[in-house]
Amino acid sequence: MNIFISFVLAIISSMLIDNVVLSRFYGICPFLGVSRKVNSSLGMGVAVVFVIMLATVICWPLYNFILVPAGIAFMDTVAYILVIASIVQLVGLFIKKYSPSLYKSLGIYLPLITTNCAVLGVAQSNTDQGLSFLNSIANAMGTSIGFLLIIVTFSCIRVRLESSNTPKAFKGLPIALICAALMAIALVGLQGLFSGIKL
Amino acid sequence: MSKEISLVIAIVVLVALLGIFLITFVAYRKTPLPKGCENLKADDEKCAACSNTQCVFNKKEEEEK
Repeated sequence: MNIFISFVLAIISSMLIDNVVLSRFYGICPFLGVSRKVNSSLGMGVAVVFVIMLATVICWPLYNFILVPAGIAFMDTVAYILVIASIVQLVGLFIKKYSPSLYKSLGIYLPLITTNCAVLGVAQSNTDQGLSFLNSIANAMGTSIGFLLIIVTFSCIRVRLESSNTPKAFKGLPIALICAALMAIALVGLQGLFSGIKL
Repeated sequence: MSKEISLVIAIVVLVALLGIFLITFVAYRKTPLPKGCENLKADDEKCAACSNTQCVFNKKEEEEK
């Protein structure tokens, strides 16, 4: 039971309290670039969730069972980048083939998931912190769902901002960035949420 | 483990990962584009949010201007 509770707490913690976009500032590029429409942000978020999960499932055993025993742990970043790039190509292939509308909205930005530092950041932090496989999965799940949650929420806000009466100087990105800052402050308020829980 | 064996394993791992990447890359390129997606271009406002001027999309935009 304790394992299950700590698994859930780890997910919630990396999803909200230590949010990948608003606390760690990873993945800012798609956060600002693909958040004008709810559909495209949802598509990008789901694609990132899939890539992060799959990258963790592949990178953790690759590091712990091949790179470390062989004494070539220094190659981790190169190996992770190649794994992530391959997964992104695979995801792109499926979207191209089975979801033309999503391909149209993400289009040329789809391969940029490879350069989304959130994906590499999760894989790297899992091994750097020496997390177990289960904790790595929890971290990946929380981080990726946190990314999805924030990018979709942000796109909903941006859609409403477009039709709102914003002063000319704040139109577009300035007011969007102010909203992002307010969202970050809101998440800071959740710090210490689990401090009273004893496992 | 000796340094030579580590080096061989490093090369094998690198070549294997590069091979997998190339296979997926070629498969992605060979998959036909969906209808209506033949001339997709970078969105000006999307690129305005990104400060990376070395990106291929930003470069294309600059060349067109």
